[in-house]
Order: sequence, then structure tokens, then C-alpha cells
Amino acid sequence: MLHETAPLLRLEGLSISRPDGSAVLDGIDLTVPADGVLGILGESGAGKTTLAKVMVGWVSDPLRITGGSVRFRGEDLRSSDVQRKVRPRIGFIGADPGNAFDPTLPVGVQIAEKLLAVAPGTDMAEAKKRVIALLDAVRIPSAARRFAEFPGQYSGGMLQRAVIVDALINEPDLLICDNIIQPLDVTVAAQIVRLLKELRARTNAGIVFITTSVPSVAEIADEVAVLAAGRIVERGLPMAIARSPQHAVTQELVARTPRIWTGEPAPEPSTAEVTPILQVSDITKTYSVKDRSRFFGKQNVQAVRGVSFDVFQGDNFGLVGESGCGKSTLSRLLSWVEEPDSGAILFEGKNIAEMTGRERFAMRRGFQLLLQDPYNCLPPHLPVGRTISSSLTIHGVGRKETAERVRAAMAEVGLSPDDLHRLPIGMSAGQRQRVNIARALVLEPKLLILDETLSALDPVEQGRLLNLFERLQAKHGLTYLFISHDLAMVRRVCTRIAVMYLGKMVEIADTGGVFYDPGHPYTKALLSAVPTLDERPYRTEDVLLDGEPPSPIDLPPGCSFTARCPEAMTTCRMKEPALWSRQPGRLAACHVTAPAP
Amino acid sequence: MAFLATFLIRRLAQGVLIVLIVSFAIFTALRLVPGDPARLILGPMASDAVVEQTAREMGLRDPIPVQYVHWLGQVLQGNLGTSFIKAKSGGEAAGGRDTSALGDKATVVALLEQSLPMTLQLAALALVFAFLISVPIGIVAGMNSGGWFDRFAVYLGSAFVSIPNFWLAIVLALVVTAELQWIPSIGYQGFSYTILPAFVIAIEMSPIFMRSLTSSIASAKQRNFVALADVRGLSKRRIFLRHILRNAAVPVLNIFGVQIGAMLGGVLIVEYIFNYPGIGLLTVQAVLERDFPVIQGVALISACIFVVINILVDLISTKIDPRLDF
Repeated sequence: MLHETAPLLRLEGLSISRPDGSAVLDGIDLTVPADGVLGILGESGAGKTTLAKVMVGWVSDPLRITGGSVRFRGEDLRSSDVQRKVRPRIGFIGADPGNAFDPTLPVGVQIAEKLLAVAPGTDMAEAKKRVIALLDAVRIPSAARRFAEFPGQYSGGMLQRAVIVDALINEPDLLICDNIIQPLDVTVAAQIVRLLKELRARTNAGIVFITTSVPSVAEIADEVAVLAAGRIVERGLPMAIARSPQHAVTQELVARTPRIWTGEPAPEPSTAEVTPILQVSDITKTYSVKDRSRFFGKQNVQAVRGVSFDVFQGDNFGLVGESGCGKSTLSRLLSWVEEPDSGAILFEGKNIAEMTGRERFAMRRGFQLLLQDPYNCLPPHLPVGRTISSSLTIHGVGRKETAERVRAAMAEVGLSPDDLHRLPIGMSAGQRQRVNIARALVLEPKLLILDETLSALDPVEQGRLLNLFERLQAKHGLTYLFISHDLAMVRRVCTRIAVMYLGKMVEIADTGGVFYDPGHPYTKALLSAVPTLDERPYRTEDVLLDGEPPSPIDLPPGCSFTARCPEAMTTCRMKEPALWSRQPGRLAACHVTAPAP
Repeated sequence: MAFLATFLIRRLAQGVLIVLIVSFAIFTALRLVPGDPARLILGPMASDAVVEQTAREMGLRDPIPVQYVHWLGQVLQGNLGTSFIKAKSGGEAAGGRDTSALGDKATVVALLEQSLPMTLQLAALALVFAFLISVPIGIVAGMNSGGWFDRFAVYLGSAFVSIPNFWLAIVLALVVTAELQWIPSIGYQGFSYTILPAFVIAIEMSPIFMRSLTSSIASAKQRNFVALADVRGLSKRRIFLRHILRNAAVPVLNIFGVQIGAMLGGVLIVEYIFNYPGIGLLTVQAVLERDFPVIQGVALISACIFVVINILVDLISTKIDPRLDF
């Protein structure tokens, strides 16, 4: 019979077009073997998601299949009858776990609902048992309790695991993973890749792994196809593609993959100038949130717990850590959007808390904050020229001078003078971010705080803006404070780096120190998770963390990293370690690496 | 359970505060508008001295906060006061013609007991009609948003909104009751007298429900998890009933809570036109006759109804969508 011999999934000459006739996918030929991992590599905009969707017969309006075929075990997936019949055999995992579930129903209930729908005859109790068992198998902590929790109570990483459970619950024959690690923190993404590797050993499903990341595809796939502008431009074994890419697009993808331990040396902190421009000493911030389970109940979220560091003139200081570690709270405190509960912040030697309103106002000119989301931080109804000039107007600069300086700043960041009267709508993320930079730059600041400023941009634009920052620094002697979860970016530009975990600094060192001689197990775990093709000094198996940071509510005594630390000792559970100087300029807060007292 | 208890306690406390503010505002406003109730009661022929004396006896010359506290103390004992005008018999004591003492006037509680059930019946039937009109149209339009039916629903809604309720009421009374003699109306002699007024209110309310249902269903349908549910193998029926309707329900419920106020306004006019003996008619008469105790009683009851319904709406909303936090 045809079904016996037909491959699991076969795309032949498949083309998908927009209504205007332009192709999204153009003559795709792919075969997914019944047992193995096909990796598909492509940059954003290459047509990856359209390809992932058509593999379950899902073509969303207004796209149309204009040629070729897509067959699951020989049956044409374009027919809706076939779709209904074979979709239970295919698991689909998308890039957006936050929107994969109905927010109004418990996660476990929805997975059980799916199992009952695709495997009639299962009863609810049985379904619940299977869902909990599988949630447990993907290492969701206290799975039985999590079963009844709502999507909003899950973190991004846990939701992605839940989506994987949902896809696997009825033991499908084909698993399609569309860019599943894209939105996750590096450590969580590394955990998900490891989970998928384990699953492929356990299940007999064919897997399609679609991604932009060369290292993760090299880690997991048996065979790789490279997608560029809707066409397959290269195929081969993963290591061959990573080592000697043939097509220009593949070469660029590989070249863009961060090098951490090879390539150019780490930027050195400047030794000549040692005046600190920003001194932070022991600041804390605790938020009080309503506890809905108790009368008038309050819970304390300790967002920042005693952070101290200095940023020196002309330095590029990096602050790294996973989501929820307190990075953004810290940036709000540093820019004095909020006041710390205790501790002091000194800008150019002056305590901000003790400044008069007028002094603080003047200080803000020298001290600008650039935020992550380029879409929500520009007023949509103001022409960008007005947006940029408004900061000068606020500081009382005359009209003529303002116009000149706005023009100069726009030219400097690479905006054309024609943009002066444009509204932000229709501008790309990169252009919007340039507007933001220009807005900060007109004030001639000394210190720029970049809170994930580049993380919403694609790598090409990211590279351009980093070059711009370098130029501006050389010209104006700026000091940068990069707050980011992107270790590779920080590695490239920063001279000193602080690693933050649960509201505390666990390590502060020069870039070389952090990357070549980390003094804290958490730093090692972060490094082991960076997607890179380099040979790592730390094996993922030894140092990668399980789970996610504990909640900053009701923290246990001792070192807050203990619960996830592979090297934890008894002392760690009793006493909170303080930062100590391992070498000149290299500090870490860890009992394990500290010398015995 | 703890959540439910905290929710109810907090919201009821807020509700009491709202009712107090509303009643004080009404109380004060009534005493600041021109028109002396004592003069209205006694008629134009009474001498100024007698009017002044009656006003003093009734407490109308005390400072407003004193009058309010006095009134509130009575309210807490279940006494909303006595109508200035309405007699116990149900007849009306217009100025001068009725010489009976204040003691023979109807209590506000008794007046509300007569008219509130009538209005609740009218409102309930109006809601049933409004739902019968708007739910099917709203759902079909929302599921086919951008299609011809959606556009039709928009036109229908605009037409309904544009029809003045008093005009529709008069036309229906003329045509359906007087000419065709299909359904009786004007006054009240049985349940069938409720149908036409309820229909008029329903026509006025349904466009808002229709539009909010259409747009919330259309936006729920756009959500990623709905498209994914199809890929995950759930049936269309299940996706619609369990996921789309559920997610569309909360905005519609909230509109409903707000619309209760609009409905009370609609009742006022429609009851007056149809001479339907409910709260609305009572209010109109009370306002025209400066019958302060009755107006205050009606305001108090309306505020309470509004508060209670909105607490219920929010409670149901949190049950549907656990992310909401009121």
C-alpha cells in the first residue's frame, strides 16, 4: 500500500504566494524521515513560519498554495478532511508560547481537553493522570498543582514546556517546532533544546526543528536545510554547514553566530581614567503586592537586594541576568525614576537623594535612559523632530539653537532631515530606536543607560547600532551602562560586567574575567547556555541549571542560588555570601570559590 | 473562599459608599432647585405664614446636612419617609383640593413596593428581547467579521440607535395597540401590557450589545490560541463554545453592567409614555410635583440596583477570567 512506503512528510515543489503574486515559499522540496530530526535554518523573514504552518496544512489568509504538494504519509494535506484526520498525528509547537493557550482556563485542563478531542474514549481521570505524568517528565515542578494553574501563572519557559507536553500528549508521529527557543532566556532555551534531545531518544516521532540559531540546529538535527527568501538554498549535515557554509546567506548566519571564546580579545577596561561617574552603594528596593488569598494580605517582592558597583568614566559597563532578576528595577532606580528604599546613588560624586529639585533636573541632562521597546516609547502623534526637540525645550534651550542641535543629532544617528516631520508610524524598530538615541543625544549626556535597547532589533540592525554607539563614544566620550540578557553582545562591547541573580550581584569583573575565569557557578551556567559554535570551557551537562530562579517573594536564608547550584555546600544554606575580591578587579559572591575563612 | 469573602466585603463596602454619595448628592440637589414643596402641597391660596409653618413642621428649614442625617437615620430603620403628595388610597392630593393631614399620605416604601416589581418585570422582559435580538446577530456578525452580515448588523444597529424611543413608543401604541389591536398597552391590566414597552427598551439597548458582542467575538477569534486549537485537533464546535464565547463574554458582561444605568433612563421615558405603573412613572410624577421623599427613595433604590448588578458582573467576570482583579 502507498501508506506503508510513503515518507512521513513530503513537500514537493511547494509554493505559497501572497495575493499580489509574490512568493513566500518557492518550490520547496523537503522530506521528513519517520524517525530523525530535520533542521531548517533561516533568518527572520525567510518564510520559516509559513513553512512550519503548511506542514500541518495550515495556510492562513491571505496566503495561497500556488503549486506543488504537501503530503503526510502520502495523503494530501491541502484537503480539510485529511487535515482533520491527520492533525492528531502531528504535534505543532509555535514560537509564541504566551498565546498558545486560552488564558481563561487552566493549562492542564486544556491539554487534557486536547487529548480527549484527539483520542476519543479516554476518560477525564485517565487524561489528567497522563497530562500530570508528562508535565512531570518535562520537569515542570509540582506538576499536579501546576495542572490546575492558569497560563498567566506560568513563566515563559514553563509555558513552552507545557506546549511541548500538549504536542506530545497523544504520542504524535511528527513534531513541528517553529522557532521554539526564540523568545526564551538563554538558560531556558538551552534547557528546552536539551529536553528535545531527550525526547527524540524516547519518542519515535519525526521532528522538524525550525530556527535562526546555528548552534542549536547543529546540536539537535541530523540534517539541515537552509531557507532564504522562500527557497531552500543549501542542504547538508549540521556540522558541515556550521564549518563550511556554501551559500552567502548561510555564511552570514554562521558569521553572525557569536564567538565567545574565539575571535577578537575581550575589550579591556581603561586603566588611565579612574574617576567613577556613577557610584552605587548598597541600594535596595522592595515592592509590596496584594496577596489575594488573605484578608488585607501583603507580600514583599524583593526586587533589588543590596547592589553596589561603580561605573568609571569612558567605561562600557554590562549588567547581565535572566528575566526577573531585577535588571529593569535597577535601571529605574539608577535613572531615579523610582527612589531606592535604602542605599545611595552618586552621580559624578554627588548623592542624587540629597540634590535639590533644581540640581536633579540639571543632572538629568547628563544621564539618559534608553528603553527596550521602540514601539511604545515614542509619542505616536508627534513628528519625530518635535519628540527629539522636546527634551531641549524642557531644559530651556532657545528655539534656534534647538533646531540646529536636533538636525545635528539626527544626522549623527543616521536619520535623514526628511524624517523631521514624520510621525513614528511606519518607521522600523531600528529607526525608532535611532529617534530615541537622538532624543537622548541632543542633551549631550555623559552617561547612557541602555536597558535592553537592542534586544528587539534584528541582528543586522543591532550590529549597526553598536557601531553607532562606538562612534558616539569615541566622539563625545560617553559612558555606557548596558543592561542586557544577551551575553554575546555584552562580550563584544563591554569592558566590565556585573552578573545579577535575584536582585543581587553575584559577580563583578572585567570581561576577560567573566568569560575566561568566572568566579560564580551561576556565571558558568549562563556561559554554558550561550548559543555559540565555539568549544565551550564548561559543559552544559555539568553546569546547566534546572528550573528557573525562585520567586523573589519569601526568599530562603543563605545564598539564594543554593537551590539550583550544582556545587552547593552546607554553608551556602546558612549564610549569605558577600562579594569578595578574587583578584584585583574581579569580585564574586560565592562560598564555593571563596578561600576558606 | 477567602477570595470570595474579601471580594464581597470590599465591594459591598465600596457600594455602600457609592450609595451614600449618590443619595447625598440627590438630596442636596433637590433642596437647591427652585420650588418649595410646602407651597406645592398647600397650593397657591395658602398664606405665606401657613406655608412657613408647614415647612418648619416638615423639617424643610433645617440645614441640609441635618435633614440628610435625619433622613438617613430613618432609612436605616426601613422608613423612606412619606410622600408629600400621594394619598394612601392611591389617589393624588393636588394642591389645595386635598386637605387631609400628612399622616394620610402613602409611605415611600409602600409606593416602591407597588411599582418596583412592575419595573423589574418590564426590565427583565426588555433584557430577554434585547438578548434575543442581539445575541444571534452579534455572534453571526462576529464569526464573519468583515463579511456582508457584519455590515448588515452595523446598519441595523445604527438604525436602531437612531430611532428615538419616544417616537417608537408612540408609533407602536398607535399602530399595534390602537389600529391593529394585536397587543394591548397604555396602563396595566395584565402581563401583555408589558410587551410593547419592553420591546421599545430592547430596541434601544440591543445595538450596544450587538456591537460589543460582534467586536469581542471577532477579536477572540483572532487570538492565536484559537487558530492553534484547530491545529491541535479540537472540533470547531468546541473551539467556539468553550474558547471563543468564554473569552468574548467578559467585555459583553461589563457593557451590560454599565448599560443598567442607561436602561433605568429608558424605563423613565417609556413608562411615562405607556402610562406603565412602574418606578419610571412614579419618578416622573414625583419630579413634576417636587415630591422629595419619593425621588430620594427612587434614587436610593436605583443606586443600590446599579451597585449590586455591577458587583455581580465583576464576580462573574473573575470566575470566567481569573486574570481579572477587582
